[in-house]
Amino acid sequence: MTQNNVGKLKHLWNSVWDVFRFFFPLGRRARKSKVFYLISFLPVILAGIFKFSQIFAGHTRFEGIYIFTNMIMGFYLQFLILILALFYGTSVCSEELEAKTLTYLTTRPVPKAAIILGKYAAYTTLVTLMVVFGLVFSFLILNVNDLLNFSLYKILFRNMAVLVLGLICYTAFFTMIGTFLKRSIMFGLIFSFGWENVIQYFPGSTQRFAIVHYLKSLLPTVQASEGFAFLLFRLEPTPPALAVLILFLITAVFLTLACVIFSWQEYILQD
Amino acid sequence: MTIKEKGYTHWDGEFLNKKLSWLPITRYGIKLTFRKKFFKLLFFLALTPAVLFLAGIYVAERMEDFKFMISEGEMPDFLNIDPAYFKAYFTNDYMLFMMVMLLVFCGAGLISDDLKFNSLQLYFSRPITKRDYFLGKASVIVFFLLIVTLLPGLVFILMKLVFSASFEFLSAYPLLPFSVIGYSLLVTIFFSFYGLFLSSVNKNRRYVAILIFGLYIFSDVLYGIFYGIFRDEYFALLSIKENLKQAGAFLFDQKLPHDTPWFLSFVIIVGFCVLGAYVLKKKIRGVEVVK
Amino acid sequence: MKPVIEVQNLSRWYGNVLGLSDVTLQIEPGITGLLGPNGAGKSTFLKLITGQIKPNIGSVRISGQKVRNNYALFKTLGICPEQDSFYDELTGWQFLTGLLSLYHLSESEISAKANKALDIVELMPDKDRVIRSYSRGMRQRIKVAQAIAHEPEILILDEPLNGLDPLSRRKIIRLIKSYKQEGKTIIVSSHVLPEIEAMTKKIILIHQGKIFAQGDIHYIRDLIETHPHIISIKCSRPRELVSKFIHHDFVLKVNFIPDDDSLLVETNNRDKFFGLLPSLFVENNIEVFEITSPDDNLQAVFDYLIGK
Repeated sequence: MTQNNVGKLKHLWNSVWDVFRFFFPLGRRARKSKVFYLISFLPVILAGIFKFSQIFAGHTRFEGIYIFTNMIMGFYLQFLILILALFYGTSVCSEELEAKTLTYLTTRPVPKAAIILGKYAAYTTLVTLMVVFGLVFSFLILNVNDLLNFSLYKILFRNMAVLVLGLICYTAFFTMIGTFLKRSIMFGLIFSFGWENVIQYFPGSTQRFAIVHYLKSLLPTVQASEGFAFLLFRLEPTPPALAVLILFLITAVFLTLACVIFSWQEYILQD
Repeated sequence: MTIKEKGYTHWDGEFLNKKLSWLPITRYGIKLTFRKKFFKLLFFLALTPAVLFLAGIYVAERMEDFKFMISEGEMPDFLNIDPAYFKAYFTNDYMLFMMVMLLVFCGAGLISDDLKFNSLQLYFSRPITKRDYFLGKASVIVFFLLIVTLLPGLVFILMKLVFSASFEFLSAYPLLPFSVIGYSLLVTIFFSFYGLFLSSVNKNRRYVAILIFGLYIFSDVLYGIFYGIFRDEYFALLSIKENLKQAGAFLFDQKLPHDTPWFLSFVIIVGFCVLGAYVLKKKIRGVEVVK
Repeated sequence: MKPVIEVQNLSRWYGNVLGLSDVTLQIEPGITGLLGPNGAGKSTFLKLITGQIKPNIGSVRISGQKVRNNYALFKTLGICPEQDSFYDELTGWQFLTGLLSLYHLSESEISAKANKALDIVELMPDKDRVIRSYSRGMRQRIKVAQAIAHEPEILILDEPLNGLDPLSRRKIIRLIKSYKQEGKTIIVSSHVLPEIEAMTKKIILIHQGKIFAQGDIHYIRDLIETHPHIISIKCSRPRELVSKFIHHDFVLKVNFIPDDDSLLVETNNRDKFFGLLPSLFVENNIEVFEITSPDDNLQAVFDYLIGK
C-alpha cells in the first residue's frame, strides 16, 4: 500500500471518528430517541411483570431463562431491532435531506464516505446500547433467583451477540436504502415485516435470502413449543461460522454501496 | 374575547352556512396521495384480496363447471358464500396489514406535514373550523379505506345476487349488508382516528410512519408474548388486530375468535377513538387572536 | 489578478426546466455580487460552484482544482446556504464546534475559532441557547458564523441578509467588507439590489439562467449607450434652467414635477450634460438644492437589461 493510500485511509478514519463524535451525542439527545428508549425498556417491564407474577401469583409455567430466550429474544429479533435499525438506518441520509442540513456536512473537508460511515457508526452504537441495556436488565430480572449460575451468562452473551450482529447488518442495509430511495420507510416496513417474515416459511435455499435466517442460525434450535410458534419457522440453519461471515459480508457490501451511492448521487434540497 | 381557529381579527359576524367546506382539503389530500410513486402499486396490492374473493364468489356459483378441480366433488368449506366468507375477507391478516400500509402512505403526513411547514395558520385563516379541518383530513383516510372495505363488500353482495339471479342470498342473510357497512365504518373510523392521532404527535413524517406501523405490530407481539406466558384470552385485548377481528366476528354473527366479551373489544376501539379525538383537539390550535 | 473561480460553459437543467445556461466567467478576489430575481439561477450557480450538484455541461474550477467530490477544497471554502435549516436541538456553541471538529482541529483551536466567529456575529451571549429558540436574525447570523469560523479564503454567501433587521444587515455588510480587505474572495447572492450596492461595485447579473452582464456597475451602466440617463434636478427656478439647455440635441426629454420644484431630464450624453450644468447655475444665479441620477443604480440597469 503506497504512502498516499495509507494517508487517505488515515484521513478517512479520522473523518469517520469526527463525524461519529458529532452525531452520537446528537442522536442520544434527540427528542425522537426518547420514544425508542421507552420501547427498548419495555422488555424490562415485561420481565418485571412476569417475575412478579411468578413470585406473587405462582405462575411457574416457564423458567426465567426460557422466557428470556423465547419471549424476550422474539420481541427483539422480530420487532425491536427491525424498528430501530429501520428508523436509524434510513435516518443516516434521509434526515439530512428532510431537515435540509446536508449542505453543512457535504461542504466540510471530509470524504462523503466518512459522513455515511461516521453517522452509521454513531446510530448503530446508539441502538446497540438501547438494546443491550434492555436485554441485560430483563435477563437479570428474569433470572434473579439464579444469578450465580454462570452458565446462564453464556446464553445472555450469545443472544446479545446475535442481536448486535442483527443491528449492525440491518442498519447497514437500511442505510443503503436511505441513500437512494425517497420512500425508504415504506420499503423498509415491507421488507422487515413482509419479506423477512414470509420468506422464512419457504424451505430450502430461499430462506437464505433473509437476514433473519442467518441470525436464527446462530441461536440454538428450540423445539416447537406452545405459544411461541410464531417465533419458529421451518428453519434450515446455516452453520454458525458461515452465518457470521455472511452477516459481516452483507454489512460490508451494503455499507460500501451506501458510500458509493452517497458519493455520486446528487441530492437536491427542496425549497 | 379570545378567538381561536380564526386567523383574521375582530370577526364578529357569523359564517355563511357553507356545506362541505372540508371537501377541498379531502380532494387535495387524495390528489397528493395518488401522486406518490408506488402508491398505485400498493393500492393494487390492497385490492388483490377483493379480486380473489370476487373470483371465489364466481367459482362458487359455477361449481358444476369447476367440479373437476376438486377430488370429492363437494363444495369446499371456504367457498360457502355466507357471512363467514365475508368475515374472512374483512378480518384476514393480509387485509388488515394492507390497510395499515395504506394508512402509512396516505395518513402519516396529513397533520405532521402541516405541523412541519407551519401550515395550520394557513388553514385557520380561512373560514373553516377545526371540525372542518379534521373532517377534511380524516376523509382522505376514509376514502381509501372504504374503497378496500365497503366497496368490495357491497360488490360481493351485488355480484352474488347477479350470479345467482335471485334474492335468495339476501333473504337468507338479511343483516349481511348492515354487517358489511357496520364493520367497514368501524374499521375505517378507527384507523382514521389512529392515523390522525399519530400524525399529530410529531412533525417528522418518517417517524410517524414508524409509529403507525410499529404500534400496530407491537400490540400484536405483546399479545403473543402475554398469551404465551399466561394463557389468558383477555390479553387479546392488547392487540389492535385481535380487537378488530373480535369486533368483526361479532358483527358478522360468527364465532368469536377469543373467549372474551365482545363488547370489551368495542370499548377498546371506541376508547382509542375518543383518546385520539381528545389529543387532536388539544394539539391542533389555530392562531389565537385577542380582541 | 488571477481568477479564483473559473467557470466554463456551465449549464444545468432540472428535467425540462433550465436552471443555468452556458455560463462562462471568472471571479477574482474581492466581493462579487450575484444578482437576480427569485428563480433566476443564483442558487443553482452557487450549488454548481460548490459541488453540491453536477453540471450537465461545462466545468468549474476553484484555485485550479475540480470541485465535485474534492473534499480537500472545502478547507478553504466557507458556504452559507440559503435554507433556514439547522440541527435544532443543538446550542449555537455545539453547532459551531461540532462542524469545526470536522476540520481536524485541536480542541483549543476549535474553541478559539468558535469564540471568534460568535464574537463577530455578536451571538456570544446566546451561544448556550438551543438554536430552536433563536429568532430569525439570530439563525441567520449563526449560519454566517459557521461559514466564517474556519477562516476560509473563499466565502460563498447565498442570501446572507435574509431575515435580518437593518442593524444586523449593516453588521454583516461590514463583516463582508472587512473580508475583502484581507484579500479574500467573497460571492454574495441577493435579490435586494441596494444591499449589494452597499457591499460592492462588482456584480454579475443573472436572469432566467443566463448571465446578462458582469463587471463594475457604472461600467455596465455606461455600456448601455442606447438607454438614456435620467437626471433629477431640484432648484429654485426649474423652468428658467430648462430654457437654457433645451436646445441642445443631447437633451432628449424634460419632465416637470410641479409639487417638488424639480425636473427630470433625459439625456443620451450624461458627461456633456453634467459639464454644462454648473455654468448654467452660476451664470443665471439659480440656486441648486439637489442633483441625482435616479437610474444610475442597479435596479435601473437590471430592469433595462431584463427588458422591463
